[in-house]
Amino acid sequence: MILSAVLAITTYGFTRSSFVQQRETAEINQAFANAKRVQNDLLANPTDVIGALEQFGSAQRLVYIGGVWTSNSKNFTQADIPTSLKTRVITDLRAANMIVDHAQNTALIVGIPLEQVNAVYFELESLRQTQDALRSVLIALLLSGAITTAVGIGLGLLVSGRTVQPLVQAAQAAKAIAQGRFDTRLETTQDRDLQALTTAFNDMVETLQMRVERDARFTSDVSHELRSPLMTLAASAQVMHSRRDELPERSQAALDLLIGDVTRFQGLVEDLLEISRFDAGAIRLINEPLVLIEFVRQAIAVSSLPRTDIVYASASEQILVQGDKRRLARVFANLIDNARIHSGGKPKIVIQLADDDPTMSHVWVIVEDDGSGLIDGEEEKIFERFSRGGSAGQRAGSEGAGLGLALAAEHVALHSGSIWAENRTDGIRGARFIVELDIFVASTVPEKSLPTTEASA
Amino acid sequence: MTIRVLTVEDDERIRASVKLALEDEGWIVDEAPTGEDAITIFQSSPADVVLIDIMLPGIDGFELCRTIRKISDVPIVMVTARIDTHDVVAGLEAGADDYLTKPFAPKELSARIRALLRRVRPSAPGHSKLVFGNLEIIPDEGKVTLDGKEVPLTKTEFRLLCELAHDPNGVFSREVLLDKVWGHGYFGDGRLVDVHIRRLRMKVEVDPAEPTHVVTVRGLGYRLQS
Repeated sequence: MILSAVLAITTYGFTRSSFVQQRETAEINQAFANAKRVQNDLLANPTDVIGALEQFGSAQRLVYIGGVWTSNSKNFTQADIPTSLKTRVITDLRAANMIVDHAQNTALIVGIPLEQVNAVYFELESLRQTQDALRSVLIALLLSGAITTAVGIGLGLLVSGRTVQPLVQAAQAAKAIAQGRFDTRLETTQDRDLQALTTAFNDMVETLQMRVERDARFTSDVSHELRSPLMTLAASAQVMHSRRDELPERSQAALDLLIGDVTRFQGLVEDLLEISRFDAGAIRLINEPLVLIEFVRQAIAVSSLPRTDIVYASASEQILVQGDKRRLARVFANLIDNARIHSGGKPKIVIQLADDDPTMSHVWVIVEDDGSGLIDGEEEKIFERFSRGGSAGQRAGSEGAGLGLALAAEHVALHSGSIWAENRTDGIRGARFIVELDIFVASTVPEKSLPTTEASA
Repeated sequence: MTIRVLTVEDDERIRASVKLALEDEGWIVDEAPTGEDAITIFQSSPADVVLIDIMLPGIDGFELCRTIRKISDVPIVMVTARIDTHDVVAGLEAGADDYLTKPFAPKELSARIRALLRRVRPSAPGHSKLVFGNLEIIPDEGKVTLDGKEVPLTKTEFRLLCELAHDPNGVFSREVLLDKVWGHGYFGDGRLVDVHIRRLRMKVEVDPAEPTHVVTVRGLGYRLQS
């Protein structure tokens, strides 16, 4: 850029000096020729000074003869001639020229003594055209300089972009893979060096994908394999349970333990299977519009605390959400389990419109307990798999396997909702878990969720 | 009457535990490890209800279901591994009346079976025949005719039709039908209703694509009209 600027300025400098010089010489020569003609005219007719000046050409002229200034133009008077030039021509009787500013333009004044008629001749030639030409040249030069610079920058970016582009793509691909999109691949390229990198990258992703899928399949296979014996165990335990009264007391106690842990084991295996389905992306929701209040009531009825209270404003009764009712019910069952197991308190469910939601398009289902609350930094950790939170010590030995909240979070995310935990804000000790769901607008009921064919009046 | 259940399941231990649990209900339980065995047993001693695991060696559960449907209107309960696959709908399309997902508790199974074996509500005296245009229902005889010709319905299809006929022109939501026909609660699967309605239309409509009897009331449910 600097180079092109310097180049432009230098070029301009050279152009200017040679151009001006040429023009000056031409003007001076013309002035001498004109002066000669004026002198001849004056010799022929010494009284008609004006006539001599106006007979030819367009230049503005001035003659000083016998102490009188005569001009052929109002715009050129003796005042326009610098004193130094006057002295030199009139007093020293030597031809001279000078570049002056005249009427906001540059002009060349040439002074020539006309010795034969004892007069002095001045001619003013505007250099405006020259200047215009020069300005055009300057503009052209600057413009071409700017264009050169811009093109240079553009080319530079293009070239460096071509070099960097594959790196940007690779970075994006790596990010996508980190987010679990294992079908991401880099595009093949013509560049041989890059091709090697691309192939290696894609091979790596392939291996990674296979390994992750194998792990997920392993979890799924193990859980499936555990299911059948567990079902036999549970069914057999139930057969024994129906004869519980016939058993000795110690056998009854053992049977109760057996049934309790078989149930717990089954829950864990189901949770693991569900988690592995999430990991394999194999979950298909069976969505339908649900009347939220009725749904939550039904979900509570099948949870471990079926008498849990629900608090809501009557305006909320009409709220619909779109969801897979069995999976969504698991979310609330898990949150209630969590409150029951970890807080030891009686949870309460609050349903309300989301705070700070001017569009009123979200609803909150809050599961609130009066337990010991959350420890700082625990808010997010509790949603991790097999996490029992920071106060695991006091919670150890409880029945939860630590998958309940992780599963709830996955299910809520699958329903395009959010879930988070915080300590209660109403001054009472305890935690609250907020599930935020989109309010479903009935007019957007997809055709599919309705029984097909006609509606008759 | 003693209920006779045929359970088709290749896992011997599950089969045995289910048998023990159902026998506790006072029922007779026949066992079949494969579909082929099931057909033989069913033909020699017809069961009141058949329990079929979809994953079977040899002919699979869907095929077995279709085979039994050809010779009997017996209620069939499918057992699937997952609820959110096409297995459920495919099983219902193959002729199953209800389904259960593994693992299920024996109590759940016996409740489902009891619901499927429920009798149709006896008709009011003097209303032994319900007429809907060219469609006639005789609840007490379990008979349905279309244009005077008898239409073969499964027991569940018949109970569904009778529920709809119980309140002519009344609209029945899927939830209500699920409860009345299948005895399912709130978390029942609406697809059960949809598939059975479709099957019913194949039999009681002149043109199943343009139903005139079993009609849809958009957003509300179904209705039977003449």
